[in-house]
Amino acid sequence: MNVHELNPKKTLGVLIVLVIVVIIGFLTMKPSPYDYKLNVNQSIQLLKDTSEINFYPYELVDVLNHKNKNVVLIDLRNKYAFGRGHIPGALSIPSFDLTHKKNLRLLKDYKKNGLTVVLYSNNQLSADGPWFFFRQIGFNNVRVLLGGYNYFLKHKNNLAATRFDNSYIKGIERFNYAKVSKSSDKSFEVNQNNKPKPVIFKRRKREAVAAGGC
Amino acid sequence: MNRNYYILTAIMLILAIGTVFIHERKYTSELPASELLWDILQPSRFVTTDQVAKRIIEKDPSLLLIDVRSASEYNKFSLPNAVNVPFDSIETATGQQYFGNPGTKVVLFGNDGILSNRVWILLRRLDLKNNYVMRGGLNEWIETIIQPKMPKQTDPETSFEQYNFRRAARLYFTGAKVVTGNMKKVKVVFKKRKRAAVAAGGC
Repeated sequence: MNVHELNPKKTLGVLIVLVIVVIIGFLTMKPSPYDYKLNVNQSIQLLKDTSEINFYPYELVDVLNHKNKNVVLIDLRNKYAFGRGHIPGALSIPSFDLTHKKNLRLLKDYKKNGLTVVLYSNNQLSADGPWFFFRQIGFNNVRVLLGGYNYFLKHKNNLAATRFDNSYIKGIERFNYAKVSKSSDKSFEVNQNNKPKPVIFKRRKREAVAAGGC
Repeated sequence: MNRNYYILTAIMLILAIGTVFIHERKYTSELPASELLWDILQPSRFVTTDQVAKRIIEKDPSLLLIDVRSASEYNKFSLPNAVNVPFDSIETATGQQYFGNPGTKVVLFGNDGILSNRVWILLRRLDLKNNYVMRGGLNEWIETIIQPKMPKQTDPETSFEQYNFRRAARLYFTGAKVVTGNMKKVKVVFKKRKRAAVAAGGC
């Protein structure tokens, strides 16, 4: 006879405990904090329409003088960079801390309250990745500051005037690539070997020998 | 058979069916969002224009350059041997054939690096690896390889090495001829020195 058949009650008891443990495991399984709300195709469509993506430097004027109270600035750089200088009123959330649950809860609160969240880092590229991620998981109130902190630093005294500057716009060709890459393009001087200047020896003029000499 | 075995089998079946209902998330081939965020925060996907230029010159067979801009922009100019996969066609069959091939290193580029970075994120979401982003895009390419700036005298030695590399790369990519100056034969002319008139009544 099988040992289990000899102790049916013990076997059944152990099995019931096992089943209960498994059921408890399923019930307490935490769902992932992030879930994609946009599929890949929708994310691609998002790239084509930039109206909800960009936050322009001149829009900071209203944020800095508190006229626009619906914007939260988040600085993604590390604490040291933040301490050295940041946009006034910005919140410091180093980008690696974005994986922490409490920051996710913060973002959820902002979304619930209808606030626009503007991410920035030293340059636009560093903030762009996290921006795109948060869009895909459903935070459609997140934008990127064009030009990043570097641009802000250079123009912080005349932000309103930057409305007509386009040096912070990314994605446009700043050169006529085809023309510039041709060898006949003379706008860039290849010949940078400065020819050595000719050296001039000045011969000392012989003074006239006094007549009636030798 | 023993009644207990029937009970056991029934419990196991109930559990097995139960797991189908408990997992709400559909199984997809996409990367979980939490892992995607972690990968986005790593800087390892970026390559510089110098690195790309070096690989092109060395004819690295594992390199595959992908231009993510529109077809019209690609036709105006692109990097040598680059393939055009516009960003809105990465999910199509023609787009997908370039990704996920073992042994190939894909380098994505655009005008500035912003668009190619976003494409990288979507590819990573689709669980594709071995993709890289050329930082700065074609604008940076022009500023570093085609029009390199001479380093200041106070810059470190490495700046000069990099500058020399870029000058050589420029010649490679623009097909510029090296100007070595006129090598015509120089005619040698002897000029007889006029004898100065001897002073009369001299010594």
